[in-house]
Amino acid sequence: MIVSETSGLESLGGDNYLLTLSVPEGRFAALGRFARLRSWPMPSLGPGTLLDRPFSIHGIGRGTLSFLIRKVGPATALLAGLAKGDPVRVIGPLGTGLDDLDPAFGEKKWYLVAGGAGLGPMGSLMAALGDRARLFYGERSGKSQVGSGYLRGLSRDADGSGIVTTTEDGTGYGLKGLVTEPLLRGLGEEKRPIVACGPPGLLAAAARAALDHGVGYFACAEARMACGLGVCLSCTLPKLDGSNFRVCREGPMVDGLSLDWDRIRA
Amino acid sequence: MPEKEINRGGPLGVEIGGLRLKNPILAASGTFGYGLELAPFCPPEALGAVITKGLSLEPWPGNPPPRVVEAAFGLINAIGLENVGLGTFLEKYLGPLKATGATVGANVLGRKPEDYVRLSGGLARSEVDFIELNVSCPNLRHPGGLSFGSDPGTLAFIVEGSVKAAGGKPVMVKLPPLVTDIVALAKIAEDKGAAAVSLINSLPALSIDLGTRRANLANGPGGLSGPPIKPLALRQVMLCSRALSIPVIGLGGIMDYRDALEFIVAGATAVQIGTGLLVDPTLPIRVIKDIALWLKKNNLKDLSEVRGSLKV
Repeated sequence: MIVSETSGLESLGGDNYLLTLSVPEGRFAALGRFARLRSWPMPSLGPGTLLDRPFSIHGIGRGTLSFLIRKVGPATALLAGLAKGDPVRVIGPLGTGLDDLDPAFGEKKWYLVAGGAGLGPMGSLMAALGDRARLFYGERSGKSQVGSGYLRGLSRDADGSGIVTTTEDGTGYGLKGLVTEPLLRGLGEEKRPIVACGPPGLLAAAARAALDHGVGYFACAEARMACGLGVCLSCTLPKLDGSNFRVCREGPMVDGLSLDWDRIRA
Repeated sequence: MPEKEINRGGPLGVEIGGLRLKNPILAASGTFGYGLELAPFCPPEALGAVITKGLSLEPWPGNPPPRVVEAAFGLINAIGLENVGLGTFLEKYLGPLKATGATVGANVLGRKPEDYVRLSGGLARSEVDFIELNVSCPNLRHPGGLSFGSDPGTLAFIVEGSVKAAGGKPVMVKLPPLVTDIVALAKIAEDKGAAAVSLINSLPALSIDLGTRRANLANGPGGLSGPPIKPLALRQVMLCSRALSIPVIGLGGIMDYRDALEFIVAGATAVQIGTGLLVDPTLPIRVIKDIALWLKKNNLKDLSEVRGSLKV
């Protein structure tokens, strides 16, 4: 648990912001883990929400850590209004990352699938995988999209060809339709394991795609979370074997074929 | 406050049912896991005691997600009492927790009144220091719809049987907050041999998503905790502490040392921190230090000068 300083806040288009915090170097080298952020006082002392908010670690720099913040409510509005030097309490890195689940993660080629704010964990994965990653990024509409310039910067290819974007209503840049459509075409051309992050419907669809094509699948699971530390059992999701899985401890990265998506509420 | 002073007890020490606690700050059930999960933030041995996640005779899976939603400055949960069961707790978790030197209370809950008696019997010869009977969880219901602790006859049966079965270990009874006469229930607990009562548990509550017109929790209702319930908790603690001769343990929305001291002014012997631990896992340590500083600043020898000092 540290109190960090805001070192920058960049608007990425739509309601998306890149929040960069200064942190002690080396502490956060973790793929697919998350942290609890709080820039507001304890609940009896002033405005804000009761709980911290959990965010996937988006970028790992030298002495910095960045988070993709989508302004959807009061807590994210406070984070998206931070100025340089403002303090942010960081508890992390928390949870199980991809390197815990698959030690050879960085050596394989992957399809990364992000739905909406599910782009969060993909920044550090793109940076770690370089041209071994192909990113499929989907939004409902153009007004939610992260700007194309920022997105291209996540790819090591100068032309951004490693990234495919979609909007369901066709109002944004990229293709019209569901993000799973180009993913399925990609799987038809070349089988690669999948990492997906986004709403439950997308994570379930990615599970079906992985099963149909016989590829591995890690989901970055999401659930309403209170402690983020494994004690309150708020964020558990059901597994197919009947047991419960804590998103904050055994996850957020999880074998996406082990969860019971039919019982996870959209 | 230096660590060794905390360990000696000193001005913060309290006694509950013959059990000496080094300070009056306890971790509330359900917010400290099985005792070691938060140790990097809050060493269990630094607390007056830790109270475990509620334990049943067999493991319980709990409710489907979503299990929590925020209310204005509060939290509504319907975890559904997911737990590993008494047997696994005793085999796997209790030993390492006791090895830290922590004082441990086991919170127990059942589907039938007899379950509490069996659970207390199962703990009688364990290393657990005391037992807390959860007869008040809003997520646990009697067939009649009331919690066990709201029904005087059922409460009397559970407390009397559990105290007998507990083999001399102090038994604390966590009472339901939303009742017509909290004092009458607390007195039943006292008469039947409870060493202390703890209050309040979370309040029955509901959160609605207007867009979908569904409850925000899969379970429907849940239990409200955090700062919104503190004023009600203070009032119930005041009433019970004045009417009983056994200690009253206060909880509900403690977020700093001032909140904790208000409970003690209202008459609490000790307090529990629950939702506050979810907001800040280091909170109890800070509260312990800040209470000691506050005593010093106000030239007070110990908490006996504060306890029940409410002026009315």
